[in-house]
Amino acid sequence: MMKTVRCAAAVLALLSAPGVLAAGDGDAGKLKANTCMGCHGIPGYTNAYPTYRVPKIGGQSADYLAAALKAYKSGERPHKTMQAQAASLSDQDIADIAVFLASAPGVH
Amino acid sequence: MRHLTQLVALAALVAAGPALAADMPTPEKVTVCAACHGADGKATQPIYPHLAGQYANYIEQALKEYRSGKRKNPIMGAQAAGLTDADIRALAAHYAAQSSLLHTPSIHGAAPK
Repeated sequence: MMKTVRCAAAVLALLSAPGVLAAGDGDAGKLKANTCMGCHGIPGYTNAYPTYRVPKIGGQSADYLAAALKAYKSGERPHKTMQAQAASLSDQDIADIAVFLASAPGVH
Repeated sequence: MRHLTQLVALAALVAAGPALAADMPTPEKVTVCAACHGADGKATQPIYPHLAGQYANYIEQALKEYRSGKRKNPIMGAQAAGLTDADIRALAAHYAAQSSLLHTPSIHGAAPK
């Protein structure tokens, strides 16, 4: 019985530990997302060399957006501009930006 | 008269455009993508990206980067390895044509419902 309680307490502690799963704040994310808009906030904006459209990220899943930013930050995902942008972001910044973008208003 | 014929042909082509997109056959290989991204581009789990309404050439770029190994992901690398350029074009066009869950974000205005 005691063992079960200890296990449950450990799980709870893990779940609530800051930084393990940073909870995003959309209002804070809105301020931090200003730079993103230079490319992602322009409909049809094009990446150069190679040429393709900068992805639509409004309405995208927050979990995916956070994973993408972390992969850019670690260098695992290629894209020089995105790696440079993500390099200065903390886990909290990433969580905030992801939550904001997932429910951001549209340009139109 | 010849100009008129050309004009009519052009008008017919223009009018047929959206109809062609709507009648586009679903690529056979969508069934594999659908397990995670949904057949309609709505992801089945929060960790997977929605593809519905995403730009086609961005999806093509992503698939080609997975195929070449430039972009590393164990699941996507394995999936993209077997795709031809034609497969990639068809899959990207399919997902781009789905009713969009995605949009260009703005830091102005209220969040949409």
